[in-house]
Amino acid sequence: MQIPGTIIFTGEQSRRGYRLNRMAMSLTDAANRARFVADEAAYMRGMALDDDEVELVLRRDWRGMLEQGGSIYLVIKIAGALGCSIQEVGRHTSGIAERA
Amino acid sequence: MAQVIGGIGSAHAPSIGAAWDKGLQRDDRWAPVFSGFEPAKHWLEALRPDLLVIFYNDHMNRFFFDAYPTIALGVGEVHRQADEGWGKRDLPDLRGDPDFAWHLARSLVADEFDPTICQDMAVDHGILSVLPVLGDAAMTTPVVPIAINVIQHPLPTARRLFRLGGAVRRAIESFPADRRVLVMGTGGLSHQLHGARYGFFNPEWDNRFMDLIESEPETLAALPHQDWMERGGTEGVEMIIWLAMRGALGGAVQRVHRNYAVPTATGLGLLALAPA
Repeated sequence: MQIPGTIIFTGEQSRRGYRLNRMAMSLTDAANRARFVADEAAYMRGMALDDDEVELVLRRDWRGMLEQGGSIYLVIKIAGALGCSIQEVGRHTSGIAERA
Repeated sequence: MAQVIGGIGSAHAPSIGAAWDKGLQRDDRWAPVFSGFEPAKHWLEALRPDLLVIFYNDHMNRFFFDAYPTIALGVGEVHRQADEGWGKRDLPDLRGDPDFAWHLARSLVADEFDPTICQDMAVDHGILSVLPVLGDAAMTTPVVPIAINVIQHPLPTARRLFRLGGAVRRAIESFPADRRVLVMGTGGLSHQLHGARYGFFNPEWDNRFMDLIESEPETLAALPHQDWMERGGTEGVEMIIWLAMRGALGGAVQRVHRNYAVPTATGLGLLALAPA
């Protein structure tokens, strides 16, 4: 299954993105969102993200997060906590075209 | 004895809930959506179902990839609202129907469908962006939610969901107590949230899909996921959820109402069907 310009969320993606996605899922809790926003890097390290993953979030590299295995439904939770819109995320990830 | 008295297919989207809460019912862009729900709302009020069985998908709000169910059935007394990451909406919890839901669990498993059985099923916009728009009758009728994995591949096939609907119908018809059941399926329609095709949607396919759901569901059931994603966008694959609703309606159906409106960059479809 392949569609140009699209990342299909396969088991391989889910496996690669597990930690990043788990961190994003934790943001469905309001207290966690507050802790994340107060100190993003510390919160993410507490959730066992590696340096590359932390850097992707600090840079607001939405496209990079998807390439790292982030689920779009979870990446938008990170965006929401940081005050970025779904539209910003979508537009940023449109660069995926170039490599497909 | 219980019976299926009707079916509703609807797009779901966070934007519907947001627009509803902001009071955009008469807004130029949103009025065609919300006024399009009115005939279905009146039909539902007149039908007075005892139970809504709703096929939908969770969007990483109740379930995570630590243990991701392909089919999940909510058997609890109450279905609370999930926090999707930006706080909860001002909506009441939904009532469940544990007696029917446990019967459904037994019947489905005997029928070789094996759902994950959930006594605590928080529900998200897959249900809650649609139900308030269908009115107080919809919000106060007990709900049995059935969540389908349309996010982490491998996904169930369209045909599998069509057959699941048939199994739900058999369960309804074998329930010993009275229930007049309205079956709903929510998903899509075509949309793409990421990548080169971000913002893609396909009104022609959306409308063809609504034609075929009504008259030729077998044709849709035969489509592989690749075709759904090419025609309707990667995330638009959730349109396959409507097939479960259609399967539960059985053979021929009669259209009660249909609407299609494009409030933002995605088309929102609504279809109400009665058994013929």
